[in-house]
Amino acid sequence: MTVSDVLLRLRALLFRARVEEELEDEVEFHLAMARRKHLDAGRSEDEAGRLARLDFGRVGAVKEDCRGVRGIESFETTLQDIRYALRSFRRSPGFVLTVSGTIALGLGLNLALFTLFNAYVLRPISIHDPYSLYSFTWADRQGRGHAFFWDEYQQFEKDSPAFSEVAAVQYVYTRVDGHVFQGQLVTGNYFQMLGVGSELGRPLLPEDASAPGREAVVVLSYQAWQNMFRGRPDIVGTKIMVRGFPMEVVGVARKGFQDISEVPRDFWAPLTMAGRLQDGSDLFGADHPERLDIVGRLRRGQSVSGAEAILTAWSQRMTLQLPDEGKAVGVLLHSKATSIPLTPELLITFSPLAVVFGLVLVLACTNVASMMLARATARQREIGIRLSLGALRRRLIRQLLTESILLSIPAAILGFIISRVTIDASIRVMFATVPKDMLELIHDVPRPVDWRVIAFMVFAALASALLFGLAPALQATRANVMSSVRGEVASDLRPVRVRNALVIAQITVCTLLLVACGALVRTTMAMSAFDIGFRTNNVIAMEIVENSRGRVMDALASDPAVDTIATASSVPLNGAVPSVTTRAENGPTISTAFNDVSPEYFEILGIPIVRGRNFTKQESASETRVAILSAMAAQRLFAHRNALGQILHVSGEPAREVRVIGLAAYIVTCCIPWGKDPVLLYLPATPATSANVLVHVRGEVESERHWLDTRLAALAPGAVGDIHSLDQYRAVGLYGFRAASMIGATLGGLALLLTLTGIYGVVSYFVTQRTKEIGIRVALGATTHTVVGMVLKHSLRLTAIGTVIGTGLAIGMSRLLASRLVFMRVFDSAAFAAGVLLVASTALAAGYIPSRRAAQIDPIQTLRYD
Amino acid sequence: MAKPSRLDLLQGTLDLLILRTLQPGDAMHGWAISERIRRLSDNVLQANQGSLYPALHRLEHQGWIKAEWGVSELGRRARFYRLTASGRKQLQQEADNWTRVAGAIGKVLELA
Repeated sequence: MTVSDVLLRLRALLFRARVEEELEDEVEFHLAMARRKHLDAGRSEDEAGRLARLDFGRVGAVKEDCRGVRGIESFETTLQDIRYALRSFRRSPGFVLTVSGTIALGLGLNLALFTLFNAYVLRPISIHDPYSLYSFTWADRQGRGHAFFWDEYQQFEKDSPAFSEVAAVQYVYTRVDGHVFQGQLVTGNYFQMLGVGSELGRPLLPEDASAPGREAVVVLSYQAWQNMFRGRPDIVGTKIMVRGFPMEVVGVARKGFQDISEVPRDFWAPLTMAGRLQDGSDLFGADHPERLDIVGRLRRGQSVSGAEAILTAWSQRMTLQLPDEGKAVGVLLHSKATSIPLTPELLITFSPLAVVFGLVLVLACTNVASMMLARATARQREIGIRLSLGALRRRLIRQLLTESILLSIPAAILGFIISRVTIDASIRVMFATVPKDMLELIHDVPRPVDWRVIAFMVFAALASALLFGLAPALQATRANVMSSVRGEVASDLRPVRVRNALVIAQITVCTLLLVACGALVRTTMAMSAFDIGFRTNNVIAMEIVENSRGRVMDALASDPAVDTIATASSVPLNGAVPSVTTRAENGPTISTAFNDVSPEYFEILGIPIVRGRNFTKQESASETRVAILSAMAAQRLFAHRNALGQILHVSGEPAREVRVIGLAAYIVTCCIPWGKDPVLLYLPATPATSANVLVHVRGEVESERHWLDTRLAALAPGAVGDIHSLDQYRAVGLYGFRAASMIGATLGGLALLLTLTGIYGVVSYFVTQRTKEIGIRVALGATTHTVVGMVLKHSLRLTAIGTVIGTGLAIGMSRLLASRLVFMRVFDSAAFAAGVLLVASTALAAGYIPSRRAAQIDPIQTLRYD
Repeated sequence: MAKPSRLDLLQGTLDLLILRTLQPGDAMHGWAISERIRRLSDNVLQANQGSLYPALHRLEHQGWIKAEWGVSELGRRARFYRLTASGRKQLQQEADNWTRVAGAIGKVLELA
């Protein structure tokens, strides 16, 4: 394509009328000259004109060829089609409204989902050059990532393999004035590396983290400054208490920066303050606690795979001296450009949700396809005439598709509005239904409408236009020219077949969605009703900072509302519990979760000791080498031998030998969806491992919790971290499933509605098509009963096929899910029965109304039509 | 009137003839080009005059000729075409090609 070509085409596009006029003039000039020549040769006026035209050839064809050279006829055709389509839309506004409304519903839901996905996974974080930022850790044989200790980080910084800049970060959780306050301890170069400035005051600087214990300074996030400190303009210079330690606010970070973690952070403090803000051994001390995460910028031009190779070599060198289970075998290098990295695992987790949403859009599209088909059939005569006049089938398909795409434009706009409303509504519902203690952890992230969202909307709208437009377009233009001109549509039964297929597809999808939704609801119900093995009511768990533990314990002991106090290293239902490897004398080695607990732990939670005995207070205080096993752990370790009195080797620093003194019933420790953890090892709590305190209170648990929180905050500011009732832990653990059930029920309801209208449409159409036949039947003596039966049989047959296929698919899907979820049953008969029944009765109801109409057909009237 | 038998022009030959006609450098309108081709070929090459125009427009799109509006010798508005530099190069190439092909065909006809 040459420059002049482009320019001429552009000219032809922009000045269509003028170019057309020029062509006209040019041809006219030629003919005038030719006429003149013939006149000069002595011909008559008429003869000259005739000869000129004869020499020239067909004027129309020549002009058409000249237009062809311009290469814009396709555009002009499109314009024509658009004008034509708009004219026909003006005649049937109801159709346009129904189609765009139905598609908009499906589009809107998907757009809402994509907007959220975009906000977390696709939209880059607002920092300098986000795409070069990566987090790094090495992975051991089991694929577990590693948290670095200080010396390792320093070595990494010195070697800086593959990275040009690196920083170490560590999460810290606390509460200020009863509000959750989550922060990041960072090396001094953090803000410089990210290129993030401050709204007020200054960001953290390398000098802030020059030596351990130095500089009790903190930078707040803009959000935290606004929400927790009400945007006080004099915030810089004031001191706030972080975990009971006064820290000076030196600045507020730039608006819009909420750290590069998955969850927005409220503050940043120098890593050198770790000793003050963290329990347990000193980050910079001899214990080498493994706590740091590494983030950094890959060197310019460094490929990810190259970096992985370099980092693997480095990690293997670093872990050369360690025993095999500590050796690095690979590295985990994840982009930090977005708050949640786009990994294959994420896509696998996300895809079921995307599929379910996508199915609703497909349902909407089949509904509309059905409507389009009915419309196309109604226009059969027109299409037949056009075909018989020589219109190309391709040309007609193109025109029908143009119509579909035009319909998808209002659908996209409406869908966009629906998506905004859906997001707002679901966030409102989430805030209304979420367990109270989870509220503070929820951060509303910005959900901008950026080019990705727009691109998705355009793509989805076009895709659905093709989806609902293509089949009807192909179908409608296939008609037999002769019969359709005569208005005999019914002789060609294929439109009915396609529509039947569409309805079957709808019923299939609807059955699948409803069964899945039913199974999900029942799984959630099973989990809510599940006996977790201990009691949660009136128990409050709190995390206490080590240096305030004594004071807090005393205060609790003297509190009249508190009747029992226990300690534990892990709170049950609060996520995965750390594990160790244990080996029985002459027995197998297994990995067991462990919890360091005081004797009262079993009493407070009502966990029965099924054999042997509980710890004593002395054993707790003097670090006696005894242990209690869950019954299942004992079985796995000692088989049929009596576990009591046996010696167990427990790995760790240092490795220990403990004697088994009791067996406890097994409970849910980590999280309800995982079911009861069969293997668990209890060790007596020591003061160092008693990070969590559980208290059983008299009276109303929430008011007690509030009272204890306020009282302890006054007594020892910052001493109490998390403080929640165990009931809340339980509710939080189940919330994900409750939310999924709500989403599922909403989508299932929509699917049912779409199927209802879909079947109604098809059966009505069926009745209209066979009016004559039904009329004859009635005339020959068919009763209302038989006519209704005949029509219903049609919709029942479709329903039967659809539900069977849908059930098959649902079984496959629940197999897949059940392999991941303990509580999901492969064949949940109740869910299947309910789903199928609901779909079937909907189908019957949708078929009944048109069938009644069929029965009322007056034979005299119908037969008069011919 | 005995008409000399007309030849159908090969695809692409018309392009060559147009370019050759415009070679002297003067701007010509479609009618003049058509008349000139007819005269120079002793009425043998007299294609459908209409087919001249799509060819002219195609050559214009390819950038080998340029069109502008002017006033014809009879005072009427007409579209005049002129050879461009790249058109001149194209003509050279096509003419060479043509000579080679025509020579080759001639040889085959003589010897066969």
